[in-house]
Amino acid sequence: MEKAQSLLILYATETGNALDAAERLGREAERRGCPVRLFSLDEFDPSSLPSEEFVIFVVSTTGQGDAPNSMKAFWMFLLQRSLSPQWLEKTHYAVFGLGDSGYQKYNFVAKKLDKRLADLGGKTIMERGLGDDQHPSGYEGALDPWMLSLWTMLYNENPQLFPKGLDIFVSDVKTLDQPKLDITYLDSDGGYSQSSAQIDLKSLEKEILRSRSMLSGKKSKDKSKPDCFLQMVKNHRISREGCSKDVRHFEFEALSSTVEYEVGDVLEILPVQSPEAIDAFMKRCNLNPELYIIVKPRNKPDCLENGESASKVPIKLKRFVELTMDVASASPRRYFFEVMSFFASAEHEKERLEYFASPEGRDDLYQYNQKERRTVLEVLEDFPSVHMPFEWLVQLIPPLKTRAFSISSSPLVHPNQVHLTVSIVSWTTPFKRKRIGLCSNWLASLDPHQRVCIPAWFHKGSLPAPQPSLPLILIGPGTGCAPFRGFVEERALEEESKSTPTAPILFFFGCRNEQNDFLYKDFWLSHLQNGGILSQEKGGGFYVAFSRDQPHKVYVQHKMHEQSVKVWDLLSKGAAVYVAGSSNNMPSDVLVAFEEIVSREGGVSKEAAVRWLRMLEKGGKYHVEAWA
Amino acid sequence: MDTKVLQGSVLAITDNVAVPLNEVLNAVRVVKTEAIEETNPLIITQASSLSSLPVDASSTDLIISISKSSVFPGDKLFEEFFRVLKPGGEIFIHQNSAVAKSTSKSSLERKLLVVGFSDIQVVQMAEPESFGIKGKKPTWKIGSSFSLKKPVKSLPKVQIDNDMDLIDEDSLLSEEDLKKPDLPPAGDCEVGSTKKACKNCTCGRAEEEEKVQKLGVTMDQLENPQSACGSCGLGDAFRCSTCPYKGLPPFQLGQKVTLSENFLAADI
Repeated sequence: MEKAQSLLILYATETGNALDAAERLGREAERRGCPVRLFSLDEFDPSSLPSEEFVIFVVSTTGQGDAPNSMKAFWMFLLQRSLSPQWLEKTHYAVFGLGDSGYQKYNFVAKKLDKRLADLGGKTIMERGLGDDQHPSGYEGALDPWMLSLWTMLYNENPQLFPKGLDIFVSDVKTLDQPKLDITYLDSDGGYSQSSAQIDLKSLEKEILRSRSMLSGKKSKDKSKPDCFLQMVKNHRISREGCSKDVRHFEFEALSSTVEYEVGDVLEILPVQSPEAIDAFMKRCNLNPELYIIVKPRNKPDCLENGESASKVPIKLKRFVELTMDVASASPRRYFFEVMSFFASAEHEKERLEYFASPEGRDDLYQYNQKERRTVLEVLEDFPSVHMPFEWLVQLIPPLKTRAFSISSSPLVHPNQVHLTVSIVSWTTPFKRKRIGLCSNWLASLDPHQRVCIPAWFHKGSLPAPQPSLPLILIGPGTGCAPFRGFVEERALEEESKSTPTAPILFFFGCRNEQNDFLYKDFWLSHLQNGGILSQEKGGGFYVAFSRDQPHKVYVQHKMHEQSVKVWDLLSKGAAVYVAGSSNNMPSDVLVAFEEIVSREGGVSKEAAVRWLRMLEKGGKYHVEAWA
Repeated sequence: MDTKVLQGSVLAITDNVAVPLNEVLNAVRVVKTEAIEETNPLIITQASSLSSLPVDASSTDLIISISKSSVFPGDKLFEEFFRVLKPGGEIFIHQNSAVAKSTSKSSLERKLLVVGFSDIQVVQMAEPESFGIKGKKPTWKIGSSFSLKKPVKSLPKVQIDNDMDLIDEDSLLSEEDLKKPDLPPAGDCEVGSTKKACKNCTCGRAEEEEKVQKLGVTMDQLENPQSACGSCGLGDAFRCSTCPYKGLPPFQLGQKVTLSENFLAADI
């Protein structure tokens, strides 16, 4: 018997939008009777792509025109010259891209993917769809009409995908889908855990592992279990008191195991939600905090999606909410409002929710929810007559995400410690409400004496640790200087120990005011003086742009131009370039500055300079870590 | 004494209303690096909206453009310059402007390059705020080859550390793809609900957007809230985009609006 045909949906998401779009596609397909398999690109083995008959790609383009991290390995695979033009001859595909037409590299990822798949022999089901943030309703403005065409084209191509035909689906009828999760409620945990007064690391680790793998089902055990637990030992403000930016220097020590990382790596932290918010949520949703629960996927009650057996150990409901459900930070998505409408008892609330979930109400939903960064708790409080069953809440409330930070220390200089440089996030919404970032504010509130245990993961970022003999040009304005603090202190140590010859470092830093936010000023200066690693004698340099200390703006790229000769000198000696920071314009401004410097000092045309720098990138000598 | 007479025709063009002949002659001297005393340039003024030149193709030896504006000459004019110049003819663009000098220079250089000029050089002028750019229309005929005059310096070789041989992903993009996307018409600078500020807005639009969405509610409205539409008291989810109570918690009509703790303190 033939395997039932199904539609494969592959997504690459950076901030969750592509995931939303992909899930929506999946739901719409299932409503029409078409079975769906949904995977993130980093969960899918590209070599099995040719055996897939129908594939939909939903991919985001980040601000630099790059693919999301989860797509990078897949994309590298696809770019191999050795793949033949018939490699995908059995595959029908369509691409939907999410991007922002405010950027030059608008939807580049989707465009390149579309072309590459065609070049490899794939047949398009239909023209690619391009979602645009600049559209009043965001990407959904493009997705809705594109999807409707997609079903028709797919049906024409292969009617078997929709066994009941497309006409069966009547779009006016609103029915609630089945929830995807099955929850068992228990009065106690059957003696699995020790008394709740004792919080030891092992049981904390187990709780986190259990709850996070219960929730996602798909993720492997490795990602759910923290790499280590950290304890904060220092919490210092390094921007001037009273100035608008609050930047902290945090130092952590490992509790359970020794920390293993390299300079330039990334630390991921699971934040703790505010107890008040959790209590408010429990109250609002009439949840009994004392209950224990086991969460499983509904269609496969005994195992998770990856075939592993589901946890049979219950966890306290409140703890599950605390660890996995983001109630006071992330915004819910459109589908949440749709499901809410089914559970609203007040007529005006039901109408409003249905409106928000409809194509007509898209714009207003965007204003109320996404733009305003409305939290789940706020939405539930704004619609007091809604009583959503816990199964739905667990399925739809955004999962509590870890937050990633560039590590600002070297493990050689500070054994068993990790340092972070964090700008504390706060902003005012369009409706003039004051909001703060969950993780940064939680970290800022921690007192080292409290000895709070912080679950943490280490992974590689975009900044590979450089060899001591590699000359470096570093550009890191603002908190972008964080990883470079690690680079500099490690190289200073290597220089001191005279174990290996060290090459010079040229570092360009930038901030607003010398008096306010010249982060780690003493540290940089100490390496500038006395023949330190940044000093002239060593062939290095340290230059700072203070953007707001004079009427006209001075940025790192201006300082780069001033040191044009030095920059070119190091580049010709084979230096690697590292760029880090938190602005969308900065990395491209820096690249343009390099192009101009290479062209001017190298005596070649702009075009040749551009090509040379691209080669530098491909050769692994130009790295950018830019965060939103 | 020999009075040098400039052989060949000269076209001078400016967006100013009038230009003294001396200025044109000075420019000619810069290009020809000789003392030229007699020349008979054709002078076109107020040319900012001119899109074609009343001159035959390949008939001019030297074009001088004089301007204070960074947007003159426009793209159409550059194409015309190229058309009317003889092969081997020269062009000199004199810019007298304090406005964005460095970007003007490079954008002019680029424009000349794009249209087909070669030997493009920037020339320092006597006055501090002006500069000149010269270029030449290449003398080659279709199908002929020639060697580059300037020795092309080669840049240091870059070690490609490639385990896998990958195609160049930029080659996947078509001309159409590379064109800058059509932004909403520039007139839409009005901060409204259509064009949105970028996430990391640096031009100030994001701040303007915040201002426009001002909490326009008066003390009176807070003391004794009224609502013609009936929705204001229900909370943000039900309010119109112009509602003065936007951002405030829900309230009962007629009863003073309490700014709850949540509103003043940072949101939990």
